[in-house]
Amino acid sequence: MSGLQHAQQYWYPVAMTNELSSGQSRHTQLLGTPLLLEGGDTLSASTNDGKPLSVQRAFDHWWVTLSDDPLPLFSINEVAETDRTFVPCGVVRVACSPLRAVENFLDIAHFPFVHTDVLGAEPHTEVYKYDVKIDESKDEVIASNIHFYQPQAAKSAEGGIETEYVYRVPAPMVAVLYKTCPQRADAMDVIALFVQPIDEETCDVWPWMALYDDTSSMADLIHFQQFIFLQDRSILENQIPRKLPLDPGQEIPTRADLTSVSYRRWLKKRGAYYGAVEQR
Amino acid sequence: MTTQPIGLSSDLAPRQVMRAVIGQFDIAVWRSVSGVVSAWENRCPHRGMRLSHGFVRGESLACAYHGWHYDCEGYCHYIPAHPELTPPRTVQPTIYSVLEQDGLIWTNPAGDAKPVALPCDTDAVRSITVQCDFDTVLKTLSDQKDTSQVSTLAESPRVLSVDIEGITDGVIIAFQQAAAPAPNGQQTVPEQPVIAHALVAAGTEPAKRVAVSRWLESLRRQSEQAVAVTSA
Repeated sequence: MSGLQHAQQYWYPVAMTNELSSGQSRHTQLLGTPLLLEGGDTLSASTNDGKPLSVQRAFDHWWVTLSDDPLPLFSINEVAETDRTFVPCGVVRVACSPLRAVENFLDIAHFPFVHTDVLGAEPHTEVYKYDVKIDESKDEVIASNIHFYQPQAAKSAEGGIETEYVYRVPAPMVAVLYKTCPQRADAMDVIALFVQPIDEETCDVWPWMALYDDTSSMADLIHFQQFIFLQDRSILENQIPRKLPLDPGQEIPTRADLTSVSYRRWLKKRGAYYGAVEQR
Repeated sequence: MTTQPIGLSSDLAPRQVMRAVIGQFDIAVWRSVSGVVSAWENRCPHRGMRLSHGFVRGESLACAYHGWHYDCEGYCHYIPAHPELTPPRTVQPTIYSVLEQDGLIWTNPAGDAKPVALPCDTDAVRSITVQCDFDTVLKTLSDQKDTSQVSTLAESPRVLSVDIEGITDGVIIAFQQAAAPAPNGQQTVPEQPVIAHALVAAGTEPAKRVAVSRWLESLRRQSEQAVAVTSA
């Protein structure tokens, strides 16, 4: 199976559910294939030659697959907790491999340098030992027990706190983060990155959040997330090469990169070569 | 690949980092607080981030992504995520030979930098990017009425001495071939653009340096028009 064929088995976000109404349409692209999206009660998506595609609604987005026999969409259980605020954050186009966008989201060591005085700050740069495993039953990468000092961990945070992070990678181009909720000690905020691969070196990133935050306005929450992600984009568009190397030896990891190392191994093992330097 | 100029010394102050391109080589150039200039492959060995986006701290260049610190010889000596760790000596970007001479920074990505000796002590005028190939600039220069003499230095066909009527004699123009303006590996047009680094004899009065700068701008415009006419 080629990297493209592997990638075609999955579902990808192409629009928020609140943006295309009946009569409105938009062109987009998925895994190199141009698509036409038409709004309505249910989004309709088709290729240029008129082939209709399967569509489903989840996490405030429309998801599309190019496959006639797709893998099931992953789940995020917190979507059922209706007292959370659900925030689809819009889309950011990034000139990098979709895999680079996911890997960056899994990285905490860059916080003091890229998100200075918000998600991190010198001298609090140390990344303490954390755990990474592959959940064999779900076939997901899980990184847990991550603790990091953050000057402003969320829009609702007042001053610096030590934040706990747990990451899940339930599909090659999806990452879900569970982090300390500044307003509720017994719950964790959920921030997910849904990546739409335009082609191997370009992606549209759709961040989505499920938070406990009864003080910030929706506009402020979206603005906070967009502000953070635009800082990430300035990095992502300057990594060479644009595709992600999966084989060791091309880039040099350290202990803090354990999640990245596991993510790359996991991609390779399952044949997820779309957007990777190595091709199948 | 031969030794090429990649900038005027006066345009790279201590603590500054800049990006230079020679042909297919993407290069990070920086000057430490004490004045040492380094030119490296523009790629952090950790995650591939362009080092030209980094920042200088003392005698180190730090990557903008994770703050890994590299000393003037390119060795990584500090990884902020693990402050107690001594990084292995293998963590080092590819280092290019670089030399400063006669007001220019010279490098050779494929061997020892051997700068061309300029005929006199110089003062910098400016660097200017011209969107065409070297031969077009040279032809445009030769066709101009106010350039009475254009000669190449014996050591390099791409370093010219030009007498400009009414301004001054012996203006030095050193050309850099910067073929890859595109970020992230898009298709590039070979042979262009070129960057012209201009200098005059040391002590040339400021008004004349300004005049040379304007003349250079006019040369750029005419060279680019020549290309537009040819391809029209």
